[in-house]
Amino acid sequence: MIRRWGRPAVSVFAALLVGLIFGSAEIPAALAQTPVSPVQAQAPLPPSSGPATPDSPPDSPNDGVHLGVASCAGNNCHGAVEPFKTSRVMQNEYLVWSQKDQHSKAFAALRNERGLRIAANLGLPDAEHAELCLGCHADNVPANRRGPQFQLSDGVGCEACHGGAMGWLGIHISGVGHAANIAAGMYPTDQPLARAERCLGCHVGDDKRFVTHQIMGAGHPPLGFELDTYSAAQPAHYRVDKDYVERKGQPNDMQIWAVGQASDLKRRMAALLDPNNAPKGLQPELALFDCQACHHATDQLQWRARTSTGLPPGRLRLYDATAVMLRVIAGRTAPEIAQKLSEHLLALHRATTQDWQAVQREARIVQQAAGELIPLLAKHDFTRDDAHALAAAVIAAGTSGDDLDYSAAQQQTMALGSILAATKMLSFADEAQVKSLNDALGALYDAVASDQAYRPDTYVKALQQFAAKLPQ
Amino acid sequence: MAALRGCAAAFFGALLCIGLWPALVPPAGAVDSQGGAVHLGVATCSGSNCHGASERPPGSSVSGNEYIIWSKRDKHHQAYSVLLGERAIRMARAIGLPDAANQKICLDCHADNVPQDQRGRQFQLSDGVGCEACHGGASTWLGTHISGAGHRDNLAAGMYPTEQPVARAEKCLGCHFGDATRFVDHRLIGAGHPRLAFELDTFTAIEPAHFVVDSRYVERKGRITDMQVWGAGQAMALTARMNALVDPRRARHGLFPELVLFDCQGCHHPYDSLHAPQPTASGLGPGTVKLNDANAVMLEVAASRAAPAAAKTLNAHMLALHRATDADPAAVRREAEAVRTAAGSLIRPLASHDFSSADIHAMVDAVIALGNGPDGWRFSHAEQTTMALEAMATALQSAGAITADRMPAVRKVLDGLYASFANESTFRSDVFAAGLRDFQRTIKP
Repeated sequence: MIRRWGRPAVSVFAALLVGLIFGSAEIPAALAQTPVSPVQAQAPLPPSSGPATPDSPPDSPNDGVHLGVASCAGNNCHGAVEPFKTSRVMQNEYLVWSQKDQHSKAFAALRNERGLRIAANLGLPDAEHAELCLGCHADNVPANRRGPQFQLSDGVGCEACHGGAMGWLGIHISGVGHAANIAAGMYPTDQPLARAERCLGCHVGDDKRFVTHQIMGAGHPPLGFELDTYSAAQPAHYRVDKDYVERKGQPNDMQIWAVGQASDLKRRMAALLDPNNAPKGLQPELALFDCQACHHATDQLQWRARTSTGLPPGRLRLYDATAVMLRVIAGRTAPEIAQKLSEHLLALHRATTQDWQAVQREARIVQQAAGELIPLLAKHDFTRDDAHALAAAVIAAGTSGDDLDYSAAQQQTMALGSILAATKMLSFADEAQVKSLNDALGALYDAVASDQAYRPDTYVKALQQFAAKLPQ
Repeated sequence: MAALRGCAAAFFGALLCIGLWPALVPPAGAVDSQGGAVHLGVATCSGSNCHGASERPPGSSVSGNEYIIWSKRDKHHQAYSVLLGERAIRMARAIGLPDAANQKICLDCHADNVPQDQRGRQFQLSDGVGCEACHGGASTWLGTHISGAGHRDNLAAGMYPTEQPVARAEKCLGCHFGDATRFVDHRLIGAGHPRLAFELDTFTAIEPAHFVVDSRYVERKGRITDMQVWGAGQAMALTARMNALVDPRRARHGLFPELVLFDCQGCHHPYDSLHAPQPTASGLGPGTVKLNDANAVMLEVAASRAAPAAAKTLNAHMLALHRATDADPAAVRREAEAVRTAAGSLIRPLASHDFSSADIHAMVDAVIALGNGPDGWRFSHAEQTTMALEAMATALQSAGAITADRMPAVRKVLDGLYASFANESTFRSDVFAAGLRDFQRTIKP
């Protein structure tokens, strides 16, 4: 994994996270899902239409025809070994994707030993033909929207994120500028909200795609995600420089993190409310719960009193690591909503010990609060003072002892990475300070590298060391 | 028997030392059924001319050192003191109690917690699970007992018949699984209480037993085999388990059923590829939480020799019960009641069945064959299987089907089996299966 400045330990973590996804071992993120749209019979290619928006996922009809990775990968386009001197982008985007980005192996993962075993455990003949898997492990648009060079085996290729290029490739090649591309239908991945919608559709799930506990039980890794960290860890195939800012505006990692958390929580609540995920028999949909609440050795007790859940020992606990981060973010940017979020998250946890109706009622309120935050956070100007306050609040969530579950530590670490990335990019601290924080961040990543080896004491020490290096 | 049972004792002993185990105390109901007899206290039994003798008293039909064994080697006598330890206090606080040593929820199994008016002058709660916790309050029978009247007279006067498999199962399971008033639920487990692992015959032996089955014992109490104790114990354990499953007080807590009734390692495993499940014989898909069915699986093996038709019925209802857990709560209740009826109908037959050596060999093979399915070995099955095999080896030895000179080899293989699941996180089905093949070779007629 490439080390990006400001995010050294992403390498450690991402190897863990991403490697797991499509590769070998153990982890989080991933692409698995449910059927997208039925493969349709060959039909006349529809005209491509207007700009894609966050509401038009890759399979929506107005996303147009997907021409295939081959149409982007030319060595005078995005497959160049060296950047062109006159170019405003790296030109090596295809190479970064194909050589370093696990998205390019998403389809291949369906054919490896683990992919086959998961399919067999689910009673499927294989994974590579299953809509359930292809919905996230490939750019699974309907057959009538696949161009002549389109290959499903390209995995999560260019157009899975940037949208079907039929409508905008001509304009794009002509070099008219980013705004014109977007106007012609390219997906605005540079916009935090649009990016969140696109990435989280697989990395958390949406109404059609969701990694259930049945799929995890069959062998699929759990999903762990934070938008800004994962943008960097792919690794990113873009560089934020003067040209980038001129064309796309100044990105702020804190904002990407914040919008990602709000979108995450909104989606999680939607999943909780989805009738498909309602309890069956004695069993709730366990994918919505905190993995380590159950998946720990019985001699490593996990329970600790948390005022933010009020749950007694021995109960399953809804995954709330991203919700807690959002509460921290809202505490700084929208205190009234933060208060509402805080009250209703507590009520939601309590409801899991009461009844399903209570869970649904509270989940709707939490979902609404997260939804209200999304546009506010997408507009908010995250300043140097915000960076200081948010870092302190994230650290306090851990050091107060209230949020020391593994999932919480994982999100706190990625959050601090995002705040640090913004600090560096926006020059909120001098170079020496940034370097020393970066080193401290490495210790945090080490402390959360494995859920089984995670020890709250070690993690808290690393948090305190990070805190000690924050500029006063 | 004592020599063989060393393996299990060594294995569970380590767990017991850290307080793995709850203690035996008469259920409130049992106390009442004894007509509220007063518990006189351990001190009234432990005289050096009674059960505190260092050598067998001349002419005695028992060893006379029962108190010494209990106080020096039997964890039951530390059941109360464990409540004073750091771990117990931490657990108590986690569930909102100020301490453990003054709480009914703890004392009901960690001491002989009879009501005040049933405590004699020498009674001490701090004796833990003492003599009368199992043998019953002695006020009505101590006179008869001391007079040297026979065992039947003691029982007639109110002593609890611990030698009878069903009575023993009821007494032990009241704490080692739970009953209507006492139950280690998942809240307690989450607070730090060890899970309850139990098999009646094995745990009788590893207490360690403070009795020796010799000719005088058989004369006074009859011939009771390890297989009867094992079989009746499994039938009673499954009955108790189904009671808990249908008990509204142990039923759903919000979204969740009472998790302690489910297979611990079904959830408590690292989620790496090693543990990715195979298709499962329970009929449940991957990712579903599975009821702990180890008692049921053992009971099916016992019943297959003693009552084959009942074994089939049990098997059908267990499968239906598993399937109901991710489909229909009403069906869970219905099938749990059917399983309870099936298990209940097996208690008496198994407690009295005369298992032949051929029966036992067939059960050894049947237990070992449980791992041949696509599931391989689940931890909970491996644990019960090992204890079953130990009971079976003991029974074969008692029946003269294995000579004493072969027992060290059997014991060594059993030690290996216990070691293979000493750490539940590193338990490997294939390693365990290899140990079973060794056992099968060693025990061959």
